[in-house]
Amino acid sequence: MSVLYIALPIALLLGAAGMFACVQCIRSGQYEDLDAPSIRILIEDQPSDKLKK
Amino acid sequence: MRALLDGLKKVSSSPLVDKPCVHCGLATPSYEETPENEVFCCRGCQGVYELIHGWGLQSYYDLRDRCVGELKMPTQTQSFEDFDTADFFDQANVQRNEDGSLSCRLAIIGLHCAACAWLIENVAARTKGWSWAQVKLSNHTLDIRFDDEKIRLSEIAQVLHQLGYELAPMGVDMDAGFQRQNRKLLIQIAIAGFCATNSMWLAIALYAGEASGIEAAHQSLLRGFGVALGVVAVTVPGRTFLLGALAALRNKTPHMDLPIAMGLLVGTIAGVVSLILGQGDVYFDSLAVLVFLLLIGRWIQFRQQHRAAKAIDLLLRMTPRYASLIEADEIVIRVLTDRLIVGDTIRVLPGQSSPADGEVVRGNSLIDRALLTGESEPVRLKIGDSIEAGVVNIESQLDIRVSAIGRESRIGQVLQAVEAASADRTPLVQLADRIGGVFVCIVTVLGCVAFCIWLPNGWQVAVGVATSLLIVACPCALALATPLAIAVSLGKSAKRRIFVRDGDSLTKLAKRGIVYFDKTGTLTAGRPSADFRFGDRVSLKLAAALESQVRHPIASAIIRLAQEEGISIDAYQVTVENVIGGVSGWVDDHQVLIGNADLLKQEEVNLPKVFAEAARYAISGGCTPIYVVVNGKVQSLLGISDRLKSDAIQTVKQLKNMGWEVGILSGDHPSIVTQIAKLIGAPQRNCVGNLTPEQKLDQIRCYKSGTVVMVGDGVNDAAALAAADVGIAVQGGAEVSLRAAPVFIAGDRLSSITALFCAARSSMTLIYTTFAVSLMYNLLAVGLALFGMITPLVAAILMPISSITVVSLALLWPIYRKDSI
Repeated sequence: MSVLYIALPIALLLGAAGMFACVQCIRSGQYEDLDAPSIRILIEDQPSDKLKK
Repeated sequence: MRALLDGLKKVSSSPLVDKPCVHCGLATPSYEETPENEVFCCRGCQGVYELIHGWGLQSYYDLRDRCVGELKMPTQTQSFEDFDTADFFDQANVQRNEDGSLSCRLAIIGLHCAACAWLIENVAARTKGWSWAQVKLSNHTLDIRFDDEKIRLSEIAQVLHQLGYELAPMGVDMDAGFQRQNRKLLIQIAIAGFCATNSMWLAIALYAGEASGIEAAHQSLLRGFGVALGVVAVTVPGRTFLLGALAALRNKTPHMDLPIAMGLLVGTIAGVVSLILGQGDVYFDSLAVLVFLLLIGRWIQFRQQHRAAKAIDLLLRMTPRYASLIEADEIVIRVLTDRLIVGDTIRVLPGQSSPADGEVVRGNSLIDRALLTGESEPVRLKIGDSIEAGVVNIESQLDIRVSAIGRESRIGQVLQAVEAASADRTPLVQLADRIGGVFVCIVTVLGCVAFCIWLPNGWQVAVGVATSLLIVACPCALALATPLAIAVSLGKSAKRRIFVRDGDSLTKLAKRGIVYFDKTGTLTAGRPSADFRFGDRVSLKLAAALESQVRHPIASAIIRLAQEEGISIDAYQVTVENVIGGVSGWVDDHQVLIGNADLLKQEEVNLPKVFAEAARYAISGGCTPIYVVVNGKVQSLLGISDRLKSDAIQTVKQLKNMGWEVGILSGDHPSIVTQIAKLIGAPQRNCVGNLTPEQKLDQIRCYKSGTVVMVGDGVNDAAALAAADVGIAVQGGAEVSLRAAPVFIAGDRLSSITALFCAARSSMTLIYTTFAVSLMYNLLAVGLALFGMITPLVAAILMPISSITVVSLALLWPIYRKDSI
C-alpha cells in the first residue's frame, strides 16, 4: 500500500489543477452571464454564405 | 363592374379591428382582410421588419415570440458622430488588439430577451468590418471587435439604433463592485468545493479503514492530508464567516455567523490537536462541506439582491451620456455628461432627454416625465422651472443651468435608495440572526453541561463529547434556510416579471386583508374611447381640432371618434391655452373649452337641461361625460369609457376565494365606480369614487383589520401605494413605482397578482418548513452529542444532510404553480 504515498499527492495535485482551471475561468468572466448561453444553444446555426447578400 | 364596385364597398365598409403590429405588437386599427404579417403601426416598424428580412434573420420573430418581452421602439433620432471621438474611446476604454482591430465593451439599452442577443450577434457577422459581437444579457453589455479601417464605431451604433438598441459607454465602475464581489465569491466556492470533495474521499478511506483495519502509518497520512484540507477550507474560503463573527462581536449584534464561526473554529482546533496527539476525532470533512454549502447559499442570496439594483442601474444608463454645453460666447460644444459641473449651461434639443437636473434659463417647451413618474401627459415648462435628468424634451429647445448630475440627480438618488432598500435585511432574516445569537449562548451552556456530565469518565472523553456537541450544533442549515427561501421566491417572481423589492412584502401578502384597486389603467385598459356622442358635428370637429394639439388619452379618444365619423380636422388655426383639468383654446375664431362638469362649474358655463339628461344617460352606461363648450355654450357631450381588462373579473374572483376583501378606490365619478364594482363583483361598501389622492390615503389608513394592499399605477396613486402595507404598481414609471411600491408587476397582467398572492403564501410555508427542519436537525444532533453518540462519521452524514435538505426544499418548493401565468 506504499503506493498511497505517491497516489495521494498526485490525486490532490490533479484536483488542484482542476480548481485552478476553474478559478481561471471565473477570473476570465465566463461565469458572469448565466442567462444567454443557456438559450444560445437552442439557436440553430445558419449557413451564412446563403444569406449574405 | 358592379361586382367590382361591391367588392370595393365591402373592403371600405368592413369594420376596423385592432391587430398587433408585426414588429412591435402595438394594437393597430386595420381591416379584417389585412393579413397578419402585413400590419404595421408605423413606417419605422415596417422599415425594421424589412431590414431584418433583408438580412434573412426572420427567426428573430419566432424566438422573440417565445421569450415574451415588452417592446419599445426608439423615439429619438440622433447622430452618432461623437462615437468616433477620442473622448468616447477613452470613456469606453477601446483597446487595440494584436491584429489591428479594436475591441471594447459597451452598455446596450433595449435588450429584452435572447432573441435580441441573437439578432445583434448575427447582424455583426453580416456587417463588413464588424468581426465579432457578444451580448451579455444579464449585464446588458455588448462586447464588440471591429476593424476601424472598414467600419467606424458610429456606423455600428447607427445599425444598432436602426434595430432599436442604443449604445452607451460603460459608466465608471457601474458594475465593477458587483463583478468583483461575484468573482470573489465564486473563487471561494471553487476552493471550498475542491477542499470538500477531496476531504470527503479521504474521510471515506479513513472510515473504511476503521471498519476493516488500517496501518497506523497510512491512517496518519490520510488524517494529515485531511486536516490540511480542512484547515485550508476554514481559513481561506471560510474566512468570510470568521470575519463576519468578529464584526458581530465587535458591534455586539447577534449574527448567524457567530455560531457558525464557533463550530468551525472548535472543529479545526480539535482536529489539529488530535492530529498532533495522534488520537481523538478529526472533523475535517464536515467542516469543508459546511463551508462549501454555506458559501453557495451566500452566493445565491447575493445574486438575488443585485437584481433590483441592476434594473435601476439600467435606468441611469438611459440618461444621455453627452450634453451640449453652451460656453461663454454662445458656442455649443458636445461634452461627456460626466464632465459637466454644477452651474454649467446646457442645451437640450427637442427629442432629446436631459442629461442632468437643472433649471430652465431659456426656452419654453413641453416635456415628457414618463421615465421618472410614469405620467403620460406632457408638462409645460417655462423659465425658472426645474427639469430632471432623463426627462424627454418634446417641443422646442431648452437651455438649462445644471444643478445636479449623475448620482446627485433625482434619478441617481432613486438608484441609491433602491440599493439601500435591497441591502436592508428583512425582519425574517433578522429573526434568523437573532436566533443565531441565542443559539451561541445555548450551545455554549450545553457544551459546558456535556463536559460536566462526562467528566467522571475522564477529562479526555468529556472534552471529546463537548467538542462534538459544539461542532454538530453549528446551525448552518438554519443560516441557509431563510435567506435562501426568500432569494428563491424573489428569483422565481422576477422570472414571471413580478419584481418584489424585499422579502418583507411576501410576509405581509401571505396574510389576509383587503385589496384596493385603482380603476383607470389598473382594472381597465387605460385607453379610453369615446363610445357615446350627443350634440352636433361641428362642435366635435372643433373639439378634435383643439385636441389634436394635446397629448392625452382622452384627446386621442376624441380624435379617433372624429376620424371614425369621417371628420377632417386639418384646416384650422389652433392655439391651446390651458391644459389643467381640461383643455381650452382657440380654433380659428371660436373659443373652445373641453372638460368635465367640474370645469364647467369653474368656468361658470351654464349646463342646459338636455345635456344634464344626456350626462345621466352616459353615466348609467358607465361612461364619463365630457362637454364641448363653443363660445361659452355647451354644444356637445361625449361619453368617454374605459373597458375592463379581460382578466379583471377572473382576478377579483380568485382573490375573493383566497379570503381577501376587494375594493376600488378611484378618482372617477361614483356611479361609474359602482358600475365597475358590479361588473367585477366587488362589494359596494368597499368601492369609493370621486376621491382625491389624499382621500385615497385616508381610506387606506382607516382599514385596520389586516393587510392593506393597494394596486395602482405609479402616478396618481403613489401616496396610496406607499401608505398601504404592500403597494403593487402595475404600470407607470420606474421612479414612483420602485420608491413607493415594494412590488412592481411588469407586463400589465392582473392575473400576476393572484399568482403573487399564492406565491407569497407558499413562500411563507416554505420558510417555516425550512426553519422547522433545520432546527429539528440541530436538536437531534445536540441530543445525540449529549449522549456521546456523535462520532465524526455521524457528524459527516448528519450535517451536510441537514443543509442539503434545506437547499433542496427551497429549490424544489412549488412557489408558483405550473399553471399560473
